[in-house]
Amino acid sequence: MSSPLLVLRQIVKNYGGVRALRGVDFDLRAGEVHALLGENGAGKSTLIKIVTGAHSPDGGTITVVGQRVVDLTPATARALGIACIYQQPALFPDLTVAENLALRLDATNMHARIDWTARRARATSLLSRIGAAISPDTEVRALSMPEQQLVEIACALGSGARIVIMDEPTASLTQKEQRLLYAVVQDLRKNGVGVIYISHRLEEIFALADRVTVLRDGQSVGTHAMGDINEAGLIRLMVGREVAQIYPAAQSAPGASVLSIRGLGCKSSGVHDVSFDVRAGEIFGLGGLVGAGRTELARILFGLTPADSGQITLAGKILHLRSPQDAVAHGIAYVPEDRRRHGVVLDLPLAQNITMAVHRRLFPKTWLRFGAERVLTLNYIRDLAVKCAGPDAHGSSLSGGNQQKIALARWLATQPKLLILDEPTQGVDIGAKNEIHKIIRRLAQEGLAVILISSDLPEVIGMSDRIGVMAQGTLRTILPSGSDPHTVMAAALGTAA
Amino acid sequence: MSTAAHAPASYLRPRRDWRALLTRHEMLLLYVLIAEWLFFYFAGTSTNRRGVIVGFGTWDRQFDILRHSCEIGLLALALTPVIITAGIDLSVGSLLGLCAILFGKLWHDGGLPIPVAMGLTLGIGALAGALNAILITALRLPPLIVTLGTYSLFRGLAEAITRGSITYTDFPEKFLFIGQERWLGLPTQAWVFFMVALAMGLMLHRTTFGRAFRTIGLAPEGARYAGLPVERRLALAYVLAGLIAAIAAIIYTARLGQAKADAGTGYELFAITAVVLGGTSIFGGKGTILGTLLGVAAIAVLKNGLACLPVVMRLNAAEEMSGLLTGALLLVALTASVLPKILSNLRPHRHTSAQSTPQLSQ
Repeated sequence: MSSPLLVLRQIVKNYGGVRALRGVDFDLRAGEVHALLGENGAGKSTLIKIVTGAHSPDGGTITVVGQRVVDLTPATARALGIACIYQQPALFPDLTVAENLALRLDATNMHARIDWTARRARATSLLSRIGAAISPDTEVRALSMPEQQLVEIACALGSGARIVIMDEPTASLTQKEQRLLYAVVQDLRKNGVGVIYISHRLEEIFALADRVTVLRDGQSVGTHAMGDINEAGLIRLMVGREVAQIYPAAQSAPGASVLSIRGLGCKSSGVHDVSFDVRAGEIFGLGGLVGAGRTELARILFGLTPADSGQITLAGKILHLRSPQDAVAHGIAYVPEDRRRHGVVLDLPLAQNITMAVHRRLFPKTWLRFGAERVLTLNYIRDLAVKCAGPDAHGSSLSGGNQQKIALARWLATQPKLLILDEPTQGVDIGAKNEIHKIIRRLAQEGLAVILISSDLPEVIGMSDRIGVMAQGTLRTILPSGSDPHTVMAAALGTAA
Repeated sequence: MSTAAHAPASYLRPRRDWRALLTRHEMLLLYVLIAEWLFFYFAGTSTNRRGVIVGFGTWDRQFDILRHSCEIGLLALALTPVIITAGIDLSVGSLLGLCAILFGKLWHDGGLPIPVAMGLTLGIGALAGALNAILITALRLPPLIVTLGTYSLFRGLAEAITRGSITYTDFPEKFLFIGQERWLGLPTQAWVFFMVALAMGLMLHRTTFGRAFRTIGLAPEGARYAGLPVERRLALAYVLAGLIAAIAAIIYTARLGQAKADAGTGYELFAITAVVLGGTSIFGGKGTILGTLLGVAAIAVLKNGLACLPVVMRLNAAEEMSGLLTGALLLVALTASVLPKILSNLRPHRHTSAQSTPQLSQ
């Protein structure tokens, strides 16, 4: 092959105390499709943000076509011929396709008279080059997600990009559209463009890529030619970390079934045909990759996006959940993934945060009872060992782990039958993480049915009594406690390994 | 944050922080109000040729201030919960006009007894509020635009009903008592005003409704995720606003002894000014009824006091001056409320780069 288009050496990036990248090496040759693979949080997105100039690295060197680049900004990245096609296209919905292309490509002569004929002609030729049947006069709003992606690709072509980054481009495409995209990628390769291809679909990577680099915990754990490695080998590279943490073990067998869902689905959120049971005292883990539909499933169970097919049975009663109030009334609690936006109201005192979901029980005559509220709050602060200045401290004054405990306390106060935890330890330091694990185990021990959604593979394996693995909006398989991480990862990737 | 996790018994009672209490917004506003009052007392009071004290420093004048602030005060009370939910209701002034007209029509043309007409008017006010509520909660339209629409709609209806010329007058003495006489020493309508203030204060500060309003104002999505009935609570705020606007309409009619279509024109802006001056955040989540009452008083004293100043009387410019100073007062209050935050931001922060939140997963 030819000289490298892009060489990254020892790239380091820290976010606060979190080491997102710890010295990553990566290179891309002309006319090559180089796949980038890794678990959620392995550092793929961070690496891409550095290549596109969105974030600047804390260490390491970037070389583009033999030239050392310092202070890479989005503008210089574009000038160097680096283009990125995101999963969520960043186009202006109210402008036409031709206008969107012109905005990106003609940024330098904004004051000149607009040559509409030329704009349209260029848009047409770029779109036809990638075989997209889209009129340049269509407003982007009217296009489907994959069509918008095609416009993004046309844009990358039009800018004469030499390095094209594709971040999960097929995640929302139909089979036919996928084949179209594969053809475009092949075409790019033929024209000497280097493609960095991020995908969770292994079969796709084997079909398209020339080489693959696997990231794990912010480090590159190897670059291989596709011919030299098989699926099992890739999964081993992605997972292969020691399960260093000790997880609190279950001490009693789960009891009767609490939650039972059959054929559950919701068209608007892409979840379909999900069936499983959760028993009292059981932690049912939900593993899978980001976008597999786990949070969407939780939102259905909490009444935020009502189901349009299937059945939910809780403690023997068939439920029709139209709103969170319904869910709360039936004893379902949901600690959401986005703690700062949904889990805790940062500008309110802890006491108000904790009692927010029990207004009706704690204040049955709607009059506030400050004494009762204080007692309840103090009990939870003590019980969950929340580090805070007291019940009047605001949510914003707490660390992530303690905020998470407050979010948890709010739902424990409702004395639920089913507790759904969505990424309960995300962005939480190790100590608090351990404490939260112990709390979850203790709650299960006390007979609560728990659904634990986690993208942290060791966590979901270590904590769960059974592990449901989701992919593409549905439950793929249910694995026993302590399963091999490779098996879980293989199920999440949709391969049989 | 450094305190130990195990709570000592002293936690059981909230600690009173006197310094924080004396510097909170309501107290600052109270100081301004007292200063304002003292200034007008000394600069706006004089003795006339017959040796009688006239101007600001008379009891009559004080009662007059109270009497004249009841309608705008009621609208301010109505708007406080709405603004706490991060909403706005521009239609209350127009609704006052519409309710006044309908009240007059029900009594005069419909031949209904005054109490029945009052009851129906209150119902109409609540219904008009419900219209706002439905548009805002069921159709999820922005409150500013919805109530801008009903602002024109309600006033337009009032003018259509009266064809711009009819004024209902000759109300019975007993009814005018509400607006023009005194009961137990105070202007009669002041008792209504205080009752509504007490009710709103209790609701906002002592019930779960107030909690819900605040939470919705701070984090509408967070409130939904906490299982709060966001739509129902928002609707309640707007229905209450309509109901209170109808109360204000009845009081207005009783004070002037006539019901006309332009009643309450521009009152919504005075009311919003009073609410914001009283420390309620226009972004939602913060605000008290006490603050609103002080805000109403500060504006009322300013307006009436100016009219007593000899300089202003000579120039005959009381209206202009009060508008100007109310505006200035509001801007100063707003600036003062954000100043501490801006000052603390000016101090250089090390170690807080632009990207302080880790974004690891995609």
